[in-house]
Amino acid sequence: MYKLIELIRRIYVVLLLLLIEAVALNFYANSSHYTEAKILSRANTVAGWMQNTVFNVKHYFTLRSENEMLAQRVAELENTLTRYREREEQIETDTMTMWQMDSTLMVGLAERRYTTARVVGNTIHHDRNYLTLNRGRQDGVVAEMAVVTPDGCMVGYVMECSDNYSVVMSILNTGFHTSGKIRGDEHFGSITWNGHSPHRVQMTELTKYSEFEIGDEVIASGLSHYFPEGVRIGYVESRTENENHTSLDVELRLAADMTRLSNVVLIENNNIVEITSLEELSKKE
Amino acid sequence: MQKSLLYIAAFVVLVLLQIFLIDNIALSVYFHPLVYVAFVIMLPLDMKPVWVLLCSTLMGLTIDALTGMAGINVMATAAVGFLRPALLHAAVGRSTDATDTIPALHRLSTKHLAWFIVLVVVLHSVIYFFMESLSLSNALHTLVRLVVSDIVAIALIWYIIKLFTEKIITR
Repeated sequence: MYKLIELIRRIYVVLLLLLIEAVALNFYANSSHYTEAKILSRANTVAGWMQNTVFNVKHYFTLRSENEMLAQRVAELENTLTRYREREEQIETDTMTMWQMDSTLMVGLAERRYTTARVVGNTIHHDRNYLTLNRGRQDGVVAEMAVVTPDGCMVGYVMECSDNYSVVMSILNTGFHTSGKIRGDEHFGSITWNGHSPHRVQMTELTKYSEFEIGDEVIASGLSHYFPEGVRIGYVESRTENENHTSLDVELRLAADMTRLSNVVLIENNNIVEITSLEELSKKE
Repeated sequence: MQKSLLYIAAFVVLVLLQIFLIDNIALSVYFHPLVYVAFVIMLPLDMKPVWVLLCSTLMGLTIDALTGMAGINVMATAAVGFLRPALLHAAVGRSTDATDTIPALHRLSTKHLAWFIVLVVVLHSVIYFFMESLSLSNALHTLVRLVVSDIVAIALIWYIIKLFTEKIITR
């Protein structure tokens, strides 16, 4: 007995190390993207204000370029508005058509809800990167909302919300997965990130019959629930056949500059609950 | 007492530096210096091994909790904290045999201190980066990340340690 105590006294540091390593490894092995997002979300309730302060300092220096982008965006929207106004004037001549137009418009609006937020935390140097936004549950942000730049380029989707902050799965996360297609072509492929460059993502499993050229635009296919069809992902940079020569692997230049994000738009798909429950039902059968 | 307060302050400063400054620099996927490991280096050299291990683990745990890394930092810092005496011995060699003084960082020669920092930083980041990528298929990519980040980390930690030992602790 005495010898045992003596032995433990001599090697208790080693035992302690093994215990710590085992617990950490076990926790890491059992963690998923959701665990990581959850931890981050908790941390944000404590350290969120600090992130916010740092962001405000950083933000001060990007105000100029941001203003330019907003001005450009305003101009674009003005153009669209004028088009709508013209159409409305046309419609007003016929009250009956006006009524019909209104009801279709309402259906379209009910399906999606938009909010804006600021990126207060953003990393690109991990394999699994997450963004932190300064809007949370209290501002109506919910999990699975799509996150895009103000000019409509894909950034990621919301994973976890605390009261005032939300954690977003960045497109620059090796666990990110969505479906994309080349504009004007109905064939789709899956979009992932290999962890190498913050300006490039990969599209795989694209059929060989797909017709496109270098520089063509790649958009969300609408097959993933998170992103509405048409959200811009990137531009084709190069194409290669995969190992089995069965499909194409395409290298994309990202449309969004993930290294310089400040304002983002959140889009909620109101039908997502209905769609997921329907899909789960069909899986069971 | 006053000294332990200094170490607590160093802990807080290093965490803030890592999370809010370094991690906010979105320069490249290859740029990820792990500066907080300076804490393991600056702990008193005559500290009991078990306390070094526990302090290192606490540092790893804090970083894990704030970055959502789920255990990787703990694994890396605990290992480094445990192996610190061995690394110090490897860096300094036999010249520490003279036990007439209490060993301290500011008494190490420049060469020995540099080696000590390099060994700790490299061991720590090797564990960290390979645990994060969890595969050898991306080994080259991980290796570049390691080299770039470590060069920056070693330079930064060198200045942090110099500042801490010469300007603060020895005063």
